Amino acid sequence: MTSWLESTARERVAGLLDAGSFTEFVPPEARLTSPHLAQLNQPAAFDDGVAVGRGMLNDEPVLIAAQEGAFMGGAVGEVHGAKITGLLERALAERIPVLLLLESGGVRLHEANAGLIAVSEIMRAILALRGAGVPVIVLNGGRVGVFGGMGIATCLCDLLIMSEDARLGLSGPEVIETTMGVEEFDAADRALVWRVTGGKNRAIMGEAVLVADDIAAFRAAIRLDPVPLDVEAEHALLGARLDRFGGMEDALDIWADLGIENPARVPLLDTDAFHAAIRGKTA
Amino acid sequence: MKEWNRLGQNRAARMDRAASLARGKLVAPGDTGALLARVIEPGDRVCIEGNNQKQADFLAKALAALDPADVRDLHIVQSVLALPSHLDVFEKGVASKLDFSFSGPQAARLARLLSSGQLRIGAIHTYLELFGRYFTDLTPRVSLVCAAAADRNGNLYTGGNTEDTPVIVEATAFRRGIVIAQVNEIVDTVPRVDIPGDWVDFVVQSPKPHYIEPLFTRDPAQISEIQVLMAMMAIKGIYAEYGVKRLNHGIGFDTAAIELLLPTYAESLGMRGRIATHWALNPHPALIPAIEAGFVESVHSFGSELGMEGYIRARPDVFFTGPDGSMRSNRALSQTAGLYACDMFIGSTLQIDLAGNSSTATLGRIAGFGGAPNMGSDARGRRHGTEPWLRAGREAGQDGFRGRKLVVQMVETFREHMAPAFVDRLDAWELAEQANLDLPPVMIYGDDVTHILTEEGIANLLLCRTPEEREQAIRGVAGYTPVGLARDKRAVENLRDRGVIRRPADIGIDPKLATRDLLAAKSMKDLVRASGGLYDPPAKFRSW
Repeated sequence: MTSWLESTARERVAGLLDAGSFTEFVPPEARLTSPHLAQLNQPAAFDDGVAVGRGMLNDEPVLIAAQEGAFMGGAVGEVHGAKITGLLERALAERIPVLLLLESGGVRLHEANAGLIAVSEIMRAILALRGAGVPVIVLNGGRVGVFGGMGIATCLCDLLIMSEDARLGLSGPEVIETTMGVEEFDAADRALVWRVTGGKNRAIMGEAVLVADDIAAFRAAIRLDPVPLDVEAEHALLGARLDRFGGMEDALDIWADLGIENPARVPLLDTDAFHAAIRGKTA
Repeated sequence: MKEWNRLGQNRAARMDRAASLARGKLVAPGDTGALLARVIEPGDRVCIEGNNQKQADFLAKALAALDPADVRDLHIVQSVLALPSHLDVFEKGVASKLDFSFSGPQAARLARLLSSGQLRIGAIHTYLELFGRYFTDLTPRVSLVCAAAADRNGNLYTGGNTEDTPVIVEATAFRRGIVIAQVNEIVDTVPRVDIPGDWVDFVVQSPKPHYIEPLFTRDPAQISEIQVLMAMMAIKGIYAEYGVKRLNHGIGFDTAAIELLLPTYAESLGMRGRIATHWALNPHPALIPAIEAGFVESVHSFGSELGMEGYIRARPDVFFTGPDGSMRSNRALSQTAGLYACDMFIGSTLQIDLAGNSSTATLGRIAGFGGAPNMGSDARGRRHGTEPWLRAGREAGQDGFRGRKLVVQMVETFREHMAPAFVDRLDAWELAEQANLDLPPVMIYGDDVTHILTEEGIANLLLCRTPEEREQAIRGVAGYTPVGLARDKRAVENLRDRGVIRRPADIGIDPKLATRDLLAAKSMKDLVRASGGLYDPPAKFRSW
């Protein structure tokens, strides 16, 4: 077993793909660094925090991008975003499925508008792939989780695979607490943060497939089949969800409402026991 | 005719004034302020039980709420100032003088109050030093202490966090002082008697359970690979080298990494039973895997740690526990063990100068010291021999027969925000001038430090024979800090040839192998699993 959480972006890529099959595009040797960070005297990375390339998964070709959470929390800058967008556009041209190994706090604030534009280009490229029936799969198991614009981008994809340690959200917990007050969301209450944004709740809400924190488990959960996109049905689903759960204070209330037994125990369950406990009781 | 019982008569007068407020020893929470106003006299020396962890918070607030017209000029003698109310008494003019040990969370405000003249500091003490003065020239007249429960006779049960309570109560009660205890609950029978009822005058049930801080919990998820490397160097280059069995660990991620490497790396070196068997240590959750692996024979603690209660109760062969099953800690006795009965102290610091003096004081903050200075000092009066102690003495080239305690300072060359850990001059000196202290608040004196361990290497100061050698040995492990860059390269290579400086390669450690995979637990959940579900971490440390 190799922990996804503990691995670096490149270790995840190497562990996920068929052995030795990864070829990196614009590798660190190319030294394509952020022009913005240099102006601000901030440390740069030779890959700008993301590795992109091509490889094989069970002898099928895939394109793959992996964000490195240890560099600026995986935040998306201009170069970083362009590497992902370029990969997605190549996937459309060659009709090859894409694996996105995301770990990101969202837009890199140092790069302001350039970062925002980069994220919106990623979203547009994902939607183009959806429209063309080329699958895009997100794997989210890093310490940072996936937030901000990358959280939105994640929700545009065909399939999301998460571990319980990972989180998915729009605004981060601290941002919600700062803007809406601690009564709205207590970012220091780690258990609450994970109940709401963590992999288990995302699985119960029907947004993600939950796997153990093991690269092999992530690999085994990958399905390279496109999921048809029906925007109206998606909106109806989200509307119904808001009607049913919108007034609730905590994920625990939602889990109880779905008929999951002993909701308070859910965070303690290992992956197999969790799947047994929620079977037939997801949103 | 000379009067020989003025303290007793004064005590009787105070007790008379308060009598109408108490039913037996019990005082209603709403009468706490009135009680304090009647038993405390202006100019009194007052001890508020402020520990590293457990806080007499309700009584501290009541004291701070007194009217300075009634009660003023108090001299506070208190080991730890942790809460805002501990400083409110000075801001409001109820108290004016302070003798203490540690003020970590309140360090910046303490510095401001001092510079605005709202308090005077007698001295910043080590714990044992302050406790010693409770029995000489700083005996409290009134003490406000804290316990988990009391019965109607005033017998106190402190639970795992006994900490300073016995010392404070003993000093006060046996010199005709007055002891007031806040407790979480009044019960018919306490689970065990930690403080006998006839040493306690008044008991107040606090409206809320006392504040307690999980100070010694470190999340293994935050341990870096540099810290793993340094832990490997410590284990192989110092613990195994000297055969250190009896020790204390300072608080922090550096030492947590060592604890988590015992069942893995130290085990692979065949060190189980040969190092780190007897500890003076708070019950660090990071020690659980080592205990489970059979490394640890005993742990005596200064205080307890939130969440460790069930685990401690289930491991009575390891921890000191009462017949009721819960831990009995005692700061004074564990400090004594650390000073006299341990062969090694290892801990982190913020600044080290060229003489090896180390300090956690930084400008604008009067933080004082925790347990480090007593345990991180050579006990010059020690008489019993052990191999590590005797070997350290031989290495120091001391004439004859005496040994030395191993005192290890473990620091990365750069701290947060790229602040260098090695400096030409400690901030402590400037702080002493600003605060008009008799001496700079140096945490560990340079002549007590035997080893400095950084990611670049281990400097064995015992083997240095001149101040110049010592300076080069320190520069030689100071990395890319200005102090490190100013090294005399030839002198440093010479010291390396003599084994005074040892790089990771010199002790057979490949930095590439220093990965988090060596940690016996990588997350809080791993610690819970290692404890067989007995460890119950506080909410701020759990994501479930």
